[in-house]
Amino acid sequence: MSNNTFPLSKEELLKAYRMMKTIREFEERLHVEFARGGIPGFVHLYAGEEATAVGIMMHLDDQDRIASTHRGHGHCIAKGVDVCEMMAEIYGKVTGACRGKGGSMHIADLSRGMMGANGILGAGSPLACGAALAAQKLGHKGIGMSFTGDGASNQGTFLESLNLAAIWNLPLVFVIENNGYAESTSVDYATAVDSYVDRASGFGLPGITVDGTDFFAVYEAAGEVIKRAREGGGPSLLECKMVRFFGHFEGDAQTYKAEGENEYNRANNDCLKIFRTRVTEAQVIADDEFDAIDTEVLALIDTAVEKAIAAPLPTAADLTSDVYINY
Amino acid sequence: MKRQPPLVGIIANPISARDIRRIVAHAGNMQITERANIVLRLLAGLGAVGIRHVLMMPEKAGIRQHVMRGLQRSLNLGEGRFPDIEYLDMIVSSSSQDSINAASQMREAGVSAIIVLGGDGTHRAVVSACGGVPIAGVSTGTNNAFPKFKEPTIVGMAVGLAITEASLSNIAFQSNKILEVDVSGHKEIALVDVAIVAEGYIGARALWRSENFKELYVTFAETEVIGMSVVAGLLDPVSRDKPEGRCVVFDNSDNPNYLLRAPIAPGVIEEIGIESWRRLLPDIPIPITEREGSIAFDGEKELSFSKNDRPTITLRTEAFRTIDVSACMKFGAQARLLSNNHQKLNHQKRGSI
Repeated sequence: MSNNTFPLSKEELLKAYRMMKTIREFEERLHVEFARGGIPGFVHLYAGEEATAVGIMMHLDDQDRIASTHRGHGHCIAKGVDVCEMMAEIYGKVTGACRGKGGSMHIADLSRGMMGANGILGAGSPLACGAALAAQKLGHKGIGMSFTGDGASNQGTFLESLNLAAIWNLPLVFVIENNGYAESTSVDYATAVDSYVDRASGFGLPGITVDGTDFFAVYEAAGEVIKRAREGGGPSLLECKMVRFFGHFEGDAQTYKAEGENEYNRANNDCLKIFRTRVTEAQVIADDEFDAIDTEVLALIDTAVEKAIAAPLPTAADLTSDVYINY
Repeated sequence: MKRQPPLVGIIANPISARDIRRIVAHAGNMQITERANIVLRLLAGLGAVGIRHVLMMPEKAGIRQHVMRGLQRSLNLGEGRFPDIEYLDMIVSSSSQDSINAASQMREAGVSAIIVLGGDGTHRAVVSACGGVPIAGVSTGTNNAFPKFKEPTIVGMAVGLAITEASLSNIAFQSNKILEVDVSGHKEIALVDVAIVAEGYIGARALWRSENFKELYVTFAETEVIGMSVVAGLLDPVSRDKPEGRCVVFDNSDNPNYLLRAPIAPGVIEEIGIESWRRLLPDIPIPITEREGSIAFDGEKELSFSKNDRPTITLRTEAFRTIDVSACMKFGAQARLLSNNHQKLNHQKRGSI
């Protein structure tokens, strides 16, 4: 083994890999389970985008609050939400993170600073502004983190949030997860000025673009924008260019993608492969250590699915609990 | 479009000026609409001196749409001052690879010159693939040492003159130096500087943690630029045309031989410890002293190396050509290249040529 010149210790590198691998296997398994018909409602899978969630979330703790999107499983796992509770939630079971009432697009765990996935596009940014304002007023060093897709960044809520964050100098980072498609519409077509950095400039905020498939690029860039927000430097925007391996939702025929696009991305733009290759080539972590994590992660996902299937559904009486306050 | 010489290529890569220096420093952001405006000014300049056909690099950030709208509006107004443009048929990856592919295609298409919009990185990408085709640069950032900011209208005119006026051929082109880096047989080039830094990862690419600087090699070093090369520039400047470069060794200990205040990024002036500096002569491969770390080319980290790699750096002269905009315009004025058609230019004095 060689000297570790990465900006993370070996333990942190292993933790980052475990998190990315957990997201990947969670999503790959949901792809299969959804096709089997075992899952109620819709799921939007995060596979291919893991380096962004993990590269960012490695810098956060429980007092930092994130507002996620409809494609929120990766954010949840990276923010520390229990994988078994997540799986149970997606299956709609009482053991779920929200007692089975939310499903895939409403997983939340406030104890972890995960304010929730969100079925309404562009709805997360104002929530993140609220969390950032709370942190500012309470005077702790927590920050708000807004995740938005390339499509939802055309919503008024997102643009209003940029303005609000700028005038109040909120401790907030706007992350644009640009996977190239707003549902099935190409970003080339649907966005007048395709550079999201220009959006931030319009509000006097700094913005940067990074390769979202490169964990180390995201990690370093996120570290700087988060530090800036935490220390009073104000809000900024981080655009992560990424690829999604699956469709917009499960069942999406993806006719808007080029032939072979998913296969190409899996072969050439797989953030897990890129991470693993770089770390093993630097002789900091050996392949068998990664393989051991792979095995443990697969076992965890198996357990999560088994527990979720075995757990009971909510009863009719549960309909009236947690409506106003209870949770 | 039927391609007819003289052809000019324009490469405007929207990925430039988007990196982390907007956060860790105060680097500017030239917006997409302004970049499109620059392209239109270049086209107007080219059109004014008779260039009728221009090849463009396609991209996906919106420059093309804004340019096409501008051309259409001009057509609607009956102005007719822009050349015909054609976009290359290529897959857009939204990375610096696009600049390389476009430069290569333009060279094959027989362009007489390529105009580059971007920073040091975009220019470096183009130079790696343009072969003997001369380039002219327009800087789109605040962090560039190689391209200078010149009014694009003038650059367009100068490029047009350089490639159409035979009488300009002796003075229109300048030759430039490069640094060639060899890492275990893998070769890369830099137009301005190669920096060796301690961190072994590439990350967000930009250089700003001066405590990690180890060695610096430059082709030229000016005093009024931002970035790594200014370190050499403030110690011992060397011009673009002199056949030598500079090498600087940093010292991050508490007692360096020299402490230099250098503007390494926009709005960021760091005190940097220096051990020594020396001349760098051409065509002699210099082994890097550091055993491991990473190598930054023109300000961006790109390669990691370990003790088995033993990278070398070689200064090369006359490596590629640029168009000397000032010389072209000056000659154009002296030789009356822009004032020889008194009727068209509506001059009062007939026969002034």
